[in-house]
Amino acid sequence: MTKVKILAMLGVALLGQSAALAHHSFAAFFDPAKIVKVTGKVTEFGFKNPHGVIVLEVPGPGGQVQKWQAETNAPVVLQRRGWTRESIKPGETITIEGWASRDGKPYLRLRQAFHADGQPVGKLAFGQGDQ
Amino acid sequence: MLRQARRLLAVGCALALSGVAVAAAPARSAVHPDLSGFWILSMQPPTLAKTLTTKLPANTVVVDDTGPAELPIGDYGGLKVKAAALAEARKWKPQDEMTISRTCSPPSIVYAIQGPFPFEIYQTPELIVFKYEYFDQVRLIFMDGRGHPPADAPHSKTGHSIGRWDGDELVVDTTHLEPSTITNNGLNHSAGIHVVERYKRSADGKTLAATQWFEDPAVLDNNGARLIEWSSKPGSYVYPYDCDPSFALQYQAAPDAK
Repeated sequence: MTKVKILAMLGVALLGQSAALAHHSFAAFFDPAKIVKVTGKVTEFGFKNPHGVIVLEVPGPGGQVQKWQAETNAPVVLQRRGWTRESIKPGETITIEGWASRDGKPYLRLRQAFHADGQPVGKLAFGQGDQ
Repeated sequence: MLRQARRLLAVGCALALSGVAVAAAPARSAVHPDLSGFWILSMQPPTLAKTLTTKLPANTVVVDDTGPAELPIGDYGGLKVKAAALAEARKWKPQDEMTISRTCSPPSIVYAIQGPFPFEIYQTPELIVFKYEYFDQVRLIFMDGRGHPPADAPHSKTGHSIGRWDGDELVVDTTHLEPSTITNNGLNHSAGIHVVERYKRSADGKTLAATQWFEDPAVLDNNGARLIEWSSKPGSYVYPYDCDPSFALQYQAAPDAK
């Protein structure tokens, strides 16, 4: 669990923030009160609507690797926040943060991503009102 | 006739060029308000749209799920759902949507137009075009006085729309909508749903407000409405959506919970 932080942030921490809707229901799939933060090596970055996809290999205790997957807002939304299909490259180490999947899978809806040097990917986190 | 054909051609040309600039919109009527331009959903509580609610028919509930807000499973926002439709809605599971055949199937305009995606309006006296970013949907609003086609004409997710001006408000009447979601949580409308939208541009031109009202007696015992507002963003344009259904396969391939 060294690089996997489960941050259960309730209520106040998320006031004013909301995940932009895409084709499937955010409310049905994700817990708006549970934020997951994961650091790992990118194995895949897809940049197609209805959602971009980021797949990470995350080192766990004992050296085993766990696969994590994030879906992003629609790339049409990402593009307005400074993302391109080159924003994340396979092989680089990044940190992703987002809303946890309700079914307990290592799967999340992306709120924000950071490069290894701490710089955010794109201009703004998702769920802050601008599209 | 030739004049009308030229105007329709102008709309077609503007659509073809819309990837370059919305400023390419055709000439508009000097009599009616100009609604043309690029509109992006406002994240502020609606104010101008609230003033339009006095024109909603009786027995109407305003469904509060416009924009990023979503209703949880089992909550239909005050819509009174008939027993058979409710039984169907309760069978719905979110995972049903995550299949290659469903993930790129757009919702009808009943749900689609309130989401956080922009759209463009092109306006002529005889025809108004709504071009949405979400799923690349396009609506033609016929302003030439025609009626709807026969009831058994083909239905679609955008339906058949006719419009008229009521003072400075555009009223759009839509039928022939293919069954689709109302609230994105299992409740579907029938092919008989009837939608009436009322659009008004603010005096400063920066806001476009709308009420979207619908009746569907086969599914609902009351009527529904949404209040929606968009902000003008001159010079912007909608991006191609080009939905790729392989997203569903990627979702299915996600690792299982431990």
